[in-house]
Amino acid sequence: MAFCVAMSLVVGLVYFAKAVDKLGTDASANADANDDDRALAGGNSLGVAQEALIQARGLVPERGAYRLVLGPDATNIGQFARYFLMPRRPKADARWVLCYACDLSSLGNDVVVVWRDDAGNAVGRLPA
Amino acid sequence: MTARALLGLAAANVAVLVVGSCLLWGARGLRSWAEVARLSGLAYMVGVAALGVAFTLELVLGVQLGLATMAITSLVLAAAGLALARALGRPRLLGLGEDRRGLGLLAVSYVALVGVYLEALFRAGRLAPLSNFDGWAFWVPKAKAIYFFGGLDEQFFRELANPTYPPLVPALEAAAFHAMGSADAVTLHVQFWFLLTGFVAAIVGLLAPRVRAPVLWPVLLLVLVAPRVVNRALEPQADFLLDYFFALAAVLVALWLVERQPWQLALASLFLAGAMLTKREGQLLAACIVVAALAASWSTRRTAWPRLVLAGASALALALPWRIWFESRGLTGELPASGFLGLVDHLDRPWPALQSVVDALLDTGLWLFAIPLALASVVLALAGGARILPAYAALVYCLSAAGFVWVLWSFTELELPYEQDEGVNLLVRLCGSLVVVSAGLVPLLLDAAWRGSDAVE
Repeated sequence: MAFCVAMSLVVGLVYFAKAVDKLGTDASANADANDDDRALAGGNSLGVAQEALIQARGLVPERGAYRLVLGPDATNIGQFARYFLMPRRPKADARWVLCYACDLSSLGNDVVVVWRDDAGNAVGRLPA
Repeated sequence: MTARALLGLAAANVAVLVVGSCLLWGARGLRSWAEVARLSGLAYMVGVAALGVAFTLELVLGVQLGLATMAITSLVLAAAGLALARALGRPRLLGLGEDRRGLGLLAVSYVALVGVYLEALFRAGRLAPLSNFDGWAFWVPKAKAIYFFGGLDEQFFRELANPTYPPLVPALEAAAFHAMGSADAVTLHVQFWFLLTGFVAAIVGLLAPRVRAPVLWPVLLLVLVAPRVVNRALEPQADFLLDYFFALAAVLVALWLVERQPWQLALASLFLAGAMLTKREGQLLAACIVVAALAASWSTRRTAWPRLVLAGASALALALPWRIWFESRGLTGELPASGFLGLVDHLDRPWPALQSVVDALLDTGLWLFAIPLALASVVLALAGGARILPAYAALVYCLSAAGFVWVLWSFTELELPYEQDEGVNLLVRLCGSLVVVSAGLVPLLLDAAWRGSDAVE
């Protein structure tokens, strides 16, 4: 039994030092990140276009709904967009449109583009 | 991430501690302030389990779960604890208590080490981004849905992944959002720091009167510094809370088997309910504890079994409404697609499944040597002359491991041998429960080996 306790003691102390060191490094890295990086961390691993989501969050009303339209070559960011844009609801016929590398013309001529970037991402609104 | 969010979260956790203390006073009685301090971790975890179960039942019943409902629920639970204390004639607290020996030098040294570890974990967690897939894909969105819409929103709870997973953790996260004043998924990591800290304090408080400090603390520290615990304990998802509930239930049942205090079984029942409402595998783990306890108490079955069955049935009764809720809405995914009898069509799977489970349990890169230590402790306790504790612990470990094999065997969509990235590895998550429970069971077993019997003189 003494051997078990001694092994726990030695291994525990060695890994205690490693753990505290690692956690200190993590704390520094987390402190160096900005708010957007933290909020979009899960999406960054998918390669989401941060600005498009931030713009959508700013433009679509909190209790509103949005539809996500993905381009043929776009990463499917549906799950992450749903998390990031809550409490806004994803809805197939919503007036607010988050076009993610999509062809805006596929939505017709009535869409009013509120924001867009050079990569083909846009936030727009369809008439009621 | 603001000071307001941190202060709100701290205040909410103090409220949880108060609720749990009232319930603990009612269930067990508290004789002195020294005892209140020693059992404060257990009281906190009782508060977490009781509030989590209550919030889940309220959600299922369609109650709007806002700040007011949460406050009223807390008050009602605290009042119930005080009423129980009065009904059972629990004595008032008598000063600081008779036992004024305090902590020994060794215990103080370990308290300092664990304190440094928890402080480092807090600093790492308070600004941690939510990068874990399950966290942002469904655990936190469910919490946000409860926070923003006040209930089990039909759209989100149907469309998000794993719709049959119980809402205890999302409900507690929603409560944390209310306390913080916003759906702050960064500061939310700190809530999981409170849960880990509460669990550590609960184990120490439960075992300190029985287990000598040189045995208790090294084992506890070994589990805490396991790489998987260091890296994942603060992620806002259900795995570690399930492990804490499972471990506390297992330790309380172990203590009940050798001490037969009714409060131990009552609180174990609450933690079993908490485990079943935290993740679906909680049902499997709860069944393992109950079956292991039934077997280990064979020699006293006439008195022990009715109580154990009642404890298990009470926990199941608290978990049942959630099952009724999701089944009534046609939500599926709880059980393997092949059904229970489909196992016989896949007889090529059990052996590679067993290999995968053993590999995952013995992965020193994740768990150090917690499981080999647990197995050695069982043997040492048996060799030392103890019978009930090693039999019970061996069954908890073996039945749980067999359950994990069943999971891999029956969910045929899982490719075997099961080799997934650690971050999304189902099996590693399951195995975590047996590592975390070792923080409590291994010291008990080693202490029994030291004493040469199950009982304390």
